[in-house]
Amino acid sequence: MGIEKFKELDPIYTQPYDPTLAEKLYNPEKPMENRITDIGPPYFWQFMPPVIQKNYGKWVSHEIIQPGVLKYKSETGDVVYVVRCGTPRLETTDYIREICEIADKYCGGYVRWTTRNNVEFHVTDEETLKALIEDLKNRKHPNGSYKFPIGGTGAGISNIVHTQGWIHCHTPAIDASGVVKAIMDELFEYFGSHKLPAKTKLALACCLNMCGAVHCSDLALVGIHRKPPLVEDERLEHVCEIPLVIASCPLGAIKPATAEVDGKKKKTVRINVDRCMFCGNCYTMCPALPISDGEGDGITIVVGGKVSNRITPPEFSRVVIPYIPNEPPRWPTTVKWLKKIIEVYSQYANKYERIGTWINRIGWERFFELTGIPFTEKCIDDYRLAYTTYRTSMHFKFTKHVDEVFNAPENYKVELFK
Amino acid sequence: MGEVKKHDTPKVDQLKTGPWPSFVDDIYSYAEKHKNQACFDIMGQMELSYTNKETHWKHGGIVGVFGYGGGVIGRYSDQQEKFPAIWAFHTVRVHHTAGKWYHTSALKKLCDMWDSRGSGVVNFHGSTGDIILLGTVTDQLEPIFFDLTHQLHWDLGGSGSNLRSPACCMGKSRCEWALIDVQELDYELTMAFQDELHRPAFPYKFKFKFSGCPLDCVAAVARADMSFIGTWRDDIRIDQEAVRAYVRGELKPNAGAFSDRDWGPFDIKKEVIDLCPTKCMYWDENEQKLYINNSECNRCMHCIAVMPEALRPGQDTGIAILIGAKAPILEGAQLSTLIVPFMKVEPPYDELKDFIYKAWDYWMENGKNRERIGELIQRVGLNKFITEVMGLTPIPQHVRVPRDNPYIFWKEEEVEGGWTRDVAEFRKRHPA
Amino acid sequence: MNKEELKQKIIQIMEEKVKKGGKTKIYLKDLQREIPDANPREIKNAANELVREGKLEYFSTGSTVMFGLPGVGMGLEAGVEKPEE
Ligand code: HEM
Ligand code: HEM
Ligand code: SF4
Ligand code: SF4
Ligand code: SF4
Ligand code: SF4
Repeated sequence: MGIEKFKELDPIYTQPYDPTLAEKLYNPEKPMENRITDIGPPYFWQFMPPVIQKNYGKWVSHEIIQPGVLKYKSETGDVVYVVRCGTPRLETTDYIREICEIADKYCGGYVRWTTRNNVEFHVTDEETLKALIEDLKNRKHPNGSYKFPIGGTGAGISNIVHTQGWIHCHTPAIDASGVVKAIMDELFEYFGSHKLPAKTKLALACCLNMCGAVHCSDLALVGIHRKPPLVEDERLEHVCEIPLVIASCPLGAIKPATAEVDGKKKKTVRINVDRCMFCGNCYTMCPALPISDGEGDGITIVVGGKVSNRITPPEFSRVVIPYIPNEPPRWPTTVKWLKKIIEVYSQYANKYERIGTWINRIGWERFFELTGIPFTEKCIDDYRLAYTTYRTSMHFKFTKHVDEVFNAPENYKVELFK
Repeated sequence: MGEVKKHDTPKVDQLKTGPWPSFVDDIYSYAEKHKNQACFDIMGQMELSYTNKETHWKHGGIVGVFGYGGGVIGRYSDQQEKFPAIWAFHTVRVHHTAGKWYHTSALKKLCDMWDSRGSGVVNFHGSTGDIILLGTVTDQLEPIFFDLTHQLHWDLGGSGSNLRSPACCMGKSRCEWALIDVQELDYELTMAFQDELHRPAFPYKFKFKFSGCPLDCVAAVARADMSFIGTWRDDIRIDQEAVRAYVRGELKPNAGAFSDRDWGPFDIKKEVIDLCPTKCMYWDENEQKLYINNSECNRCMHCIAVMPEALRPGQDTGIAILIGAKAPILEGAQLSTLIVPFMKVEPPYDELKDFIYKAWDYWMENGKNRERIGELIQRVGLNKFITEVMGLTPIPQHVRVPRDNPYIFWKEEEVEGGWTRDVAEFRKRHPA
Repeated sequence: MNKEELKQKIIQIMEEKVKKGGKTKIYLKDLQREIPDANPREIKNAANELVREGKLEYFSTGSTVMFGLPGVGMGLEAGVEKPEE
């Protein structure tokens, strides 16, 4: 197949959408008739503004002229200004249309998104830039939230990379968009400013499958289930194929079984609860194995990861708070701890230190002391390769933990997170 | 559309306030304007989830478009009576463009299509990269696919045990640090592997990601089974006059990234020379000149990021290939492992395609169900993967440190004289 | 084995599995195990061609995809439309 590699805008986009065409072309009896397949996405070149096409590969430097506003210089002498705005990622076509309206008005109809769900508008002169910024600042939703907050650059907090949550997925332990909204409202000042010691990246995944780079973020939240799936004996054999269910468990925790329901023998399964790690894969295969539980589910907070190679190599995030209950609609405990971690980091880290590099310098024991996060046995790894995380040296610091436990053990109580 | 039924959503409504863009206000505005029952119902179901802290979606078997194994994910509400407009609410993954550039004429047409055939709710973008259209019914799937391909010249992205939609950073379109043309590479490989993208081919999912430089803006090293990252092997370009301008405080360090806090005057020794991980830089105070011992530099990008007007990466650029990143399920989280430290690449990228096929063929043959390639490498051993599978020669760059145990699985042919020995001969030397 | 033979063999394997009352959906890997003398990429191509011809269908869980005979076993919109007696 294949569509032309359009260097200029494909004329198809100037023809209006015809809502009746598909029904004329598609014949359910002959699905291959009129079918176009394997054409891939449109070629990107046609979607880049002229100044970008002209200076492709010719940029020499950039400057963040204010938070969220960048200026790029090309060896041709051209410049381009970019305004970066946060978006909620979950949005409607009307919101996209409003982005289009702005892009049409100021940017010749071109727009781009970043990996972190920010949208970027490009202009080539300062006057248009001023007008654009002014316009963006004044666009608000009915209840006053900004539609297009400007920021996400430099030593601040960029938008949160996140997954679906309760708006769409069947295995989430937590919501995604609502938690993100609650966090970004509270950390808003850091989105549009450059006052942290370095770039700080947040991520959220609503279950262990972790769609997204949660395991390598400065600060991240992961939804966890803590109860094995329920087994609906009377329904299971009617809605699930037992061999498929058994095969779906990554840990081999599911065995076939028979159960008596109202005097009738039913084929079903049993779950070895000691082996279950609450991933929800079995529920994907079998609706008679529901896993969500309002009381059991909640949030784990991990910190200190990064993907950039700058100064130090990429690194994994580590669990510091193993569980916080779900608290919709604004998750106050989660938000409180995130804010605390950021404030302590901001106060103690050196310039250029990411959260993880800062902790590596001061030590995890100091991190727990400074943030006041209680350390529990849940933070000691017992999964694969756990040994690599044990301390096997005399290099430790005397924080309050040593005093509390080894000099006055009776005083030591594990505080619960509530 | 007749009467719409609205639901009370006091908890969800609390997310309308606060400065960050409210998706609740957005969805409600859309619902009111278009009298869209699905949007009212989705907020109603969200409220229910906020009340009992559980999801109300269930998974449902095969939905998809004919002949494709991915691109659509089936979803059904478990509250069919309360929220009939969302009883089926499937997602459609639409393949994003390389670098995520768009023209509004295409976006508006896509919106028109989705208003007419779906809920009007979207994700820009899903975390793999695709544009996600959230919420339609089974009967609309084929028409949506026909509209996409015929009226928008646009294809679906990948899901399932397919190649997932590749993704790249903004690359040469705007970034002065892009050392390879990630967008072209992304597009070319996407097109070359359309079959693998749309139809099941592998034991499990497979992801490509491309970053133009070691800052790795798309998190390739953490998120891709095969990560392609740009690098260079000649000298960092230095504009000594610009370096002096930074030292004199005339240029803002890090392009202004630290502007809202007083960190004191810029100190090149403290902020650049001392933080260089390889200690390969020297600032001569008398000469007012910066020296870099380039052969010792590991190209971490720190100095370049601090002084972008003065320092630029070298010009002998190429690609590094790392393999095997994945989320923790099952064998624990993995970052990608360096396999090829430097390779020159040019369209049509045939040598890259060969490299990819070599890795895939081995994985398809030897990978277990749901085993990612990174887990397979761990199971068979990196040494075997490099030498026997990829046919490469091992070099110290492949490891962070050499092994700490001498439990080496020597092969018979590697040992002088082989393993067959004569006991009688042995006993001649060593009487029992 | 040429492509047509391979396709016949795949259908045969699927039908036998169903007859034995086993799984009605299988992974590519399972097919490879049953046909060790064919190259995995050829098996993949043959199975995908059978789907295009309407003789097999995909069953996707979102994270993985399986093959099944159309209409056999847990079918379209599983868990939703199959009535509970
Ligand atoms: C100094 C100027 C910098 C500029 C102008 C800049 C620009 C950007 C842009 C435009 C993106 C989005 C890329 C995309 O969507 O393709 C991005 C993402 C990113 N940047 Fe930077 N960057 C800068 C410095 C840095 C530094 C110093 C680091 C690391 C220490 C860094 C690490 C990253 C990472 C890891 C991402 C990926 C975001 C993700 O996880 O999706 N950047 N940056
Ligand atoms: C066995 C494990 C997994 C299962 C059962 C699974 C299942 C799913 C499902 C059902 C969705 C669709 C969510 C929706 O739209 O309703 C999804 C999305 C996704 N998955 Fe997974 N997944 C698994 C593992 C992973 C892993 C390990 C990764 C990454 C390394 C990943 C990356 C993604 C991404 C990026 C998305 C798109 C989500 C978004 O953009 O919000 N998944 N997954
Ligand atoms: S992280 Fe888990 S719950 Fe969230 S969208 Fe991905 S699979 Fe669904
Ligand atoms: S939740 Fe995961 S680990 Fe537990 S039984 Fe189901 S598939 Fe197995
Ligand atoms: S990865 Fe490097 S080249 Fe790509 S956008 Fe980021 S800084 Fe620029
Ligand atoms: S790129 Fe990194 S390692 Fe190389 S000279 Fe600069 S700071 Fe040092």
